[in-house]
Amino acid sequence: MPAIVEVDHLTKNFGSVRALDDLSFSVAEGEVFGFLGPNGAGKTTTIRILLGLLRPDAGTARIGGHDCWNDHSRAAPLFGATLEQPGLYGYLSGRDNLRQFARIVGPVNERQITDLLALVGMTERADDKVKRYSMGMRQRLALAQALLGRPRLLVLDEPTNGLDPNGIHGLRLLLRRLASEQALTIFLSSHLLSEVEELCDRVVILHRGQVRAVGPLVELMNSKGYVYQIDVSDVDGALAIARSIDGVRAERGTPSDSITVFSDTDLARVINRALVTAGIEVDQLVRTQRGLEDIYIELTGVPSASPLSAPPSEVAVP
Amino acid sequence: MMLTILVRNELEKTWRSRWMVFAVLAGLFLLIAAGLYSFYVYHDHRWSPPPPVAWQTQLRSDIANNQSTLDNLQVVKQQAGTRGRTLFNGRALNDAEAQLHQAIAADQYLIDHDIAPLSAYSMTRAALFGFGGIVMFLLVRIFGWLASEQIAGERSDRTIAILLSRPPSREQVLLAKAIASFLISLAVVLVSFLVAYAIVAFIMGSLGPVTGQVGIAIDGSKPLNPDNLVTMPILLFLLMCIGAAMLAVLCVQGMSLLISVLTTRWAAIGITLAILFGASLLSGVVAGIISLIGSAQSAHFLNYAFFNVLAPVGSIAPVFGNGATEVGKGMHEFGSEVATLAVWTVGFFAAAWFFFRRREEAG
Repeated sequence: MPAIVEVDHLTKNFGSVRALDDLSFSVAEGEVFGFLGPNGAGKTTTIRILLGLLRPDAGTARIGGHDCWNDHSRAAPLFGATLEQPGLYGYLSGRDNLRQFARIVGPVNERQITDLLALVGMTERADDKVKRYSMGMRQRLALAQALLGRPRLLVLDEPTNGLDPNGIHGLRLLLRRLASEQALTIFLSSHLLSEVEELCDRVVILHRGQVRAVGPLVELMNSKGYVYQIDVSDVDGALAIARSIDGVRAERGTPSDSITVFSDTDLARVINRALVTAGIEVDQLVRTQRGLEDIYIELTGVPSASPLSAPPSEVAVP
Repeated sequence: MMLTILVRNELEKTWRSRWMVFAVLAGLFLLIAAGLYSFYVYHDHRWSPPPPVAWQTQLRSDIANNQSTLDNLQVVKQQAGTRGRTLFNGRALNDAEAQLHQAIAADQYLIDHDIAPLSAYSMTRAALFGFGGIVMFLLVRIFGWLASEQIAGERSDRTIAILLSRPPSREQVLLAKAIASFLISLAVVLVSFLVAYAIVAFIMGSLGPVTGQVGIAIDGSKPLNPDNLVTMPILLFLLMCIGAAMLAVLCVQGMSLLISVLTTRWAAIGITLAILFGASLLSGVVAGIISLIGSAQSAHFLNYAFFNVLAPVGSIAPVFGNGATEVGKGMHEFGSEVATLAVWTVGFFAAAWFFFRRREEAG
């Protein structure tokens, strides 16, 4: 599939702080693309450049082949976007907010607005003023706004911000539906790794303005190896046997009658055979692929939900 | 097409977010009209308008009044010679005497040549009052405040990011906001003129003619003569006043939009109102100090500051009273103020455009 988003050697500074440092990646048409990184990694800066709100200092950002800053009027009809803080007119109703944006994105009739309100579950409150909406309701209305004019690309910056668990679940279902039924390309920036893991085909992990990893989610997780939890009759013996196998690292596990084994490739059968041949009884061998969270922590150095995710030395930039 | 859509959006947003301001303005107009009517009833002991008076009769009455004042002045002058007093109504005796002579001569000239002064008709007087008086002073500042929120308000509400990420160009967004601000202010100014016209027509006892000619001094400091007088149709004069008043509004809106482009809501409102209320006061103090040190002419450069020329219609002729001429009034001064405003207006809009199309919205 051709790329709808092309980011090429993008650099952006805010004063002395380098927010983006030679960033390059692309998003193919029709894929759900996850955009990950801790606070201050440069996610919002990248999104604002894509939206034509910030001018890059070097490099280019293109949507549908059109430069996002210099050729914004051609790039803009191709996408709809929501930002972390939904930008809506509080003194207008939800329906009037959609009417405002519908007029400028092209032919959108009243029926389509009603359908969009229904799609995001806002029909009942559509005629209330937005200033009376909860954060979750604003997020949903912002999503409806982004979908006006049937864009080819949906750019979502923390779309689950403020949503309750039901809302988050509903949004995931909706995004999955949009991606499969309408072949919409979704560019999803999120802190919720489980959400990205569940929805995205490909991800880029960003740290301090640089790409740390990019690629299909499955490959990314496979490339980082496998973990086995093995319950054995003789822990010390099992550790010695496991450590004698090439490409394997082993340590004591939890509970105490188990060992944890790490390998870059899938060696489950090899390990099992070696243990059994050595007379060690194997009660259970559980193979787990390393999760996105493990990869994220390894690449960015800190747990995603940790307060350390924005290190003191790193100045938070928009 | 896109511009029309954007203007419609801006009109809707302004109305829906600021309808209270327009409601207060409407209430204010009603209060002013009711107050003036109450005063009239109390003062003239009648509920209906007075009978209309022909402008020639009014001018003859003014000549008689001015002649009477002149006679009093002669008496004061004789007394001043013995007591050393040199002022009459706060002015030097000789200046006051010269001004009265000029006013009498001007009135007589208009009668002799059958040229109606601006004060002759309800419509022209209402134009001077509506577009050159205190009403316009307040309206210009309200329009400045509203325009200062146009972009800064969107920035504070975080709607600017979504608006600018959509297909319309920044130039179209800025132009639409300027046009919407202008259209709203034009509507309010026209309504305020109609209210002023109704009030003046009531006081003068007649709606007056809408056709015919009026005479305006070119240089109010000099005696009226064929070289120092321009005549024009009443409706043309009205259009000229509307144009000049709206140019002042446009100038203030240009300044407000420029400030709005650069800041957030409360900063924009604060800076705009500080300039519109404070700058002319400060300028007055500076002019006073300069006059004390040197001559009044030395402070003339302040007339090129836009905030000192925001009521060009007020410089055509005195808003109140019946004087056809006055120092510092006339078409010459009017033209000069309009030209000054035009230059500032172009400058403000060019600067707003320059900064807006380059400004990054970092959130």
